[in-house]
Amino acid sequence: MYLAAAVDNNSTDILAVANSPFLWACAIGVFLVIIIQSVIYMKAAQVAAPHIGMTHQEIKTSFRAGAISALGPSLAVVMVAIALLTVFGTPAVLVRIGLIGSVSYETAAAAIAANSAGAELGGPTYTQAVFGLALAAMSLGGAMWMIATLILTPLLKRGDSALRKVNPAIMLVVPGAAMVGAFMVLGLGELPKSWIHVVAFGSSALIMTVLMIIAKRVDRPWIKEWALGIAIILSLVITHLATRA
Amino acid sequence: MPESTQIHDALGAFDKTTSRWGRITMIIGLFFSLAAPTYLVFFSGLDIEISGILTAFAALAAVFGVIWIVEPLTYYPILGASSMYQAFMIGNISNKLLPAAMIAQSTIGVKPGTRKGELASVAAICGAAAVHLTSLFIFVGLLGTWLVSVIPADIVQTVQLYILPTVMGAVLIQAIVSQKSPRAAVIALVVSLIVVFVLSPLSPKMALFSTAIAVISTAVLAWVLRDRQSTDVAERAEDETPPEGPVY
Repeated sequence: MYLAAAVDNNSTDILAVANSPFLWACAIGVFLVIIIQSVIYMKAAQVAAPHIGMTHQEIKTSFRAGAISALGPSLAVVMVAIALLTVFGTPAVLVRIGLIGSVSYETAAAAIAANSAGAELGGPTYTQAVFGLALAAMSLGGAMWMIATLILTPLLKRGDSALRKVNPAIMLVVPGAAMVGAFMVLGLGELPKSWIHVVAFGSSALIMTVLMIIAKRVDRPWIKEWALGIAIILSLVITHLATRA
Repeated sequence: MPESTQIHDALGAFDKTTSRWGRITMIIGLFFSLAAPTYLVFFSGLDIEISGILTAFAALAAVFGVIWIVEPLTYYPILGASSMYQAFMIGNISNKLLPAAMIAQSTIGVKPGTRKGELASVAAICGAAAVHLTSLFIFVGLLGTWLVSVIPADIVQTVQLYILPTVMGAVLIQAIVSQKSPRAAVIALVVSLIVVFVLSPLSPKMALFSTAIAVISTAVLAWVLRDRQSTDVAERAEDETPPEGPVY
């Protein structure tokens, strides 16, 4: 088999593994599941609508409005996904960054997994085996969100009182702080590696800051949508120029 | 009243269908998403230790464990039960699905939180999913794979080497802005500086769990040192503002 020849624990040619047919099949599986789910949901909505005084046209209009409003955000996600293709391969990027997950959590998860094995995301220690470990960690992490949804949704629907009693102040402070803490320590952890890492982190943070300020000044929400993709691509260009300096 | 029974039955059928098939499809999606790494670990010939995966998972749980549980709790009141199974599989909830639902509701003039609003948001999320799957398939699946094959090797190398600092720089700023809590950001900065420049160099073992140490310390300190007045105020104002920023 094609894959068997390409597999080498210590090879840094991760795309040989990351773009394997089996991973493609899994990615297409996730696509199909979402399509089937959407069809079932649309049919259920069409059936229920007339009974509560909604026309089929109103359901169709809602579908179309949702589709149109998703165009911008979708293409913004596409831009970020393309930047990560050489790191995770197409199937993993489609599933983890395009669909179930998001670029911030998945990249952080991959980096944490690589670190736990004494390796680094990208670079000479990012071997096929480390990619496998990173994908396992990203997938398990993403699975926890889905499992939490599967368990909590029926409980919340029943109006479980114990869940509603969770202190709202804790919900407000702790997750946000944990999130900022995670991205902060992962980001700063890159700085001692080399001056180019400093350029990469600094330029990306700076471009994002500028974009956020502009978005606020001129009140254009689309800038916020595209900010992440623009910051990542631009700072990669700057970093690439720095490597040649 | 027979009419109200009919409405009740119709909505009951809708709830039953969506929660049943929502769960079934989500479980299948979960299966596919776990099948990929399972294959790499057990059948690809790669040498990946189970103990290594458990270590990585423990490190991950220490960092994101709270968020795994809190995010579904946060989105439930906004999305409603049926859309939960859509949203957590399609992803990009705050930047794509919530706006799609809101725009659909205002387009046909129904209010969020009502049953009409719920149906409108389910349809809108289906529409958003259709666009998202199509654009991902065309631009990332087909075009992206081709693009990567023609990108010069030295650029590929730059991307692989420096993707982490580039992503984290932008994501960090986005997280700080969306959280609107400068206090937590300063705490995170101080804690991370100590962990990265003082603790980690002390021993390589420290580096292993440095992320977890930094995250847990930041969360605990942010809670202990919280601005009690503003969190109380925010608590009351919370209902209407959906969370933004890098969330699932």
